[in-house]
Amino acid sequence: MLVQVENLIKRFGDFTAVDGVSFGIKRGEIMGMLGPNGAGKTTTLQMILGLITPTAGEIRIFGKSMATHREEILDRMNFTSPYVAFPYRMTVQENLTVFARMYGVREPQRRIDEMLERFDIARLRDKPIARLSSGENTRVGLAKAMLNDPDLLLLDEPTAYLDPDIAYQVKEALLEARSDRGMTILYTSHNMSEVERLCDRIVFLNHGRVIAIGSPIEITQAILNEEREAPALEEVFLRVAREARE
Amino acid sequence: MKSHRIIAVIVRHAYEARRNADRITDMVYWPVLDILMWGFFTTYLGRGVGMRPDVINVLLGATILWGMFYSFQRDMAVGFLDELWSRNLLNLFSTPLTINEYVTGLICINLAKTMVGVGAASLLAWSAYHFNIFPWIPALVPYLLNLVLFAFALGILTTGLIFRYTTRVQGLAWSFAGLLAPVSCVLYPLKSLPGWLRAIAWMLPTTHSFEGMRQAMVGGGFSPYHFWWGIGLNAIYFALAIGIFKLVFEAARTRGLLVKLE
Repeated sequence: MLVQVENLIKRFGDFTAVDGVSFGIKRGEIMGMLGPNGAGKTTTLQMILGLITPTAGEIRIFGKSMATHREEILDRMNFTSPYVAFPYRMTVQENLTVFARMYGVREPQRRIDEMLERFDIARLRDKPIARLSSGENTRVGLAKAMLNDPDLLLLDEPTAYLDPDIAYQVKEALLEARSDRGMTILYTSHNMSEVERLCDRIVFLNHGRVIAIGSPIEITQAILNEEREAPALEEVFLRVAREARE
Repeated sequence: MKSHRIIAVIVRHAYEARRNADRITDMVYWPVLDILMWGFFTTYLGRGVGMRPDVINVLLGATILWGMFYSFQRDMAVGFLDELWSRNLLNLFSTPLTINEYVTGLICINLAKTMVGVGAASLLAWSAYHFNIFPWIPALVPYLLNLVLFAFALGILTTGLIFRYTTRVQGLAWSFAGLLAPVSCVLYPLKSLPGWLRAIAWMLPTTHSFEGMRQAMVGGGFSPYHFWWGIGLNAIYFALAIGIFKLVFEAARTRGLLVKLE
């Protein structure tokens, strides 16, 4: 396993946000992480990124413990979320230059040019971040996330602000990165058809616990508790979310 | 520590300084305005009141050095605030960047920015008031060193407090050094303070730097006493500031504050 999460627990005072989560991700796999709001997805993702220290449990990535090999692991990873921002006075080029240096990217300008082309934002190169739309900002985030050609990519709702055409291009770019380089991706999204199309397996969280792990069809059958011909993650999601509210 | 990540922090803040008018104002405008005002005042003191030239030199020198100390402490904290204001913390700390690399990068860029401000103020003092601080520099180096070290320590401590208490305490970036100004004996000697305040002043490396600077500029030579007191106190404050910052950073990660700060 490229990522191994073992019995992960996170408590904030009396509140348990993540309660004994365990799962693994194989090399080259696209793993979806689903669950209603408050299920523990973001906290789990942030513990995998080393931004939050777990109360208990272990995260092993590339065979090494996150607790003791943070720098080494993060050097081969990257992350993006439309909910985090870049310094808004700096241009797209300047922001990407800083992150290319941060990851020690060789030939940084060539790589930046490649990423700007791949996400169709070359024309925005000299624009300050403050003047970009949400969708353009998201694409800058994706360009930053691919700069160091990571072995493991964490994406938190990467297509949230994108129109269907650009979202399609992004999904194609991710599938290409996986097939060409064997990139491993952990992916959260509220777009169920996108998850069905993109993810090999899914870990479904609710109330901080794993309620099912498997392929989209396995998750559908396990949670709806009936035989199905095709995955129906939207239905699964609605069922879990309603039960959580009740 | 990896040099490419330290350079990345330096480059990030160099771009910010170029694009942000506030940073240019902080860097050059205030030091120059300070020296302009003090220059006129000391000219009046020299010509109108007949104050001794060496005392006037001491006043102008102290103004330049206090400006350096204040800028350095402020810019360390403002550098971190820039990450908070632009919601860039998650991007930054989800890279392999370590806290030591981040602080080292901030120290390097702020040293450069402070030098630009001090350089501009010194050139103005030289050209407009015939006060040339540059020949004094060799004699002032030990006290400059102590001022810079204390500014590092205060800057790191202020940044740590902002980490812990978020933008609610961001005013500390501009006010912390000012709080120490009255007891740092910038423009007057230690003996002019009331007795009970002298003990507090004695505990500040800034007091020893300005006492030593005055002694050097009126021809009293180097004061090992003030220099070593300054170094000793700085060692304690520096260790405390680093220790507190690391504790606060780890606590922020444990409590999930790092992701909520934004």
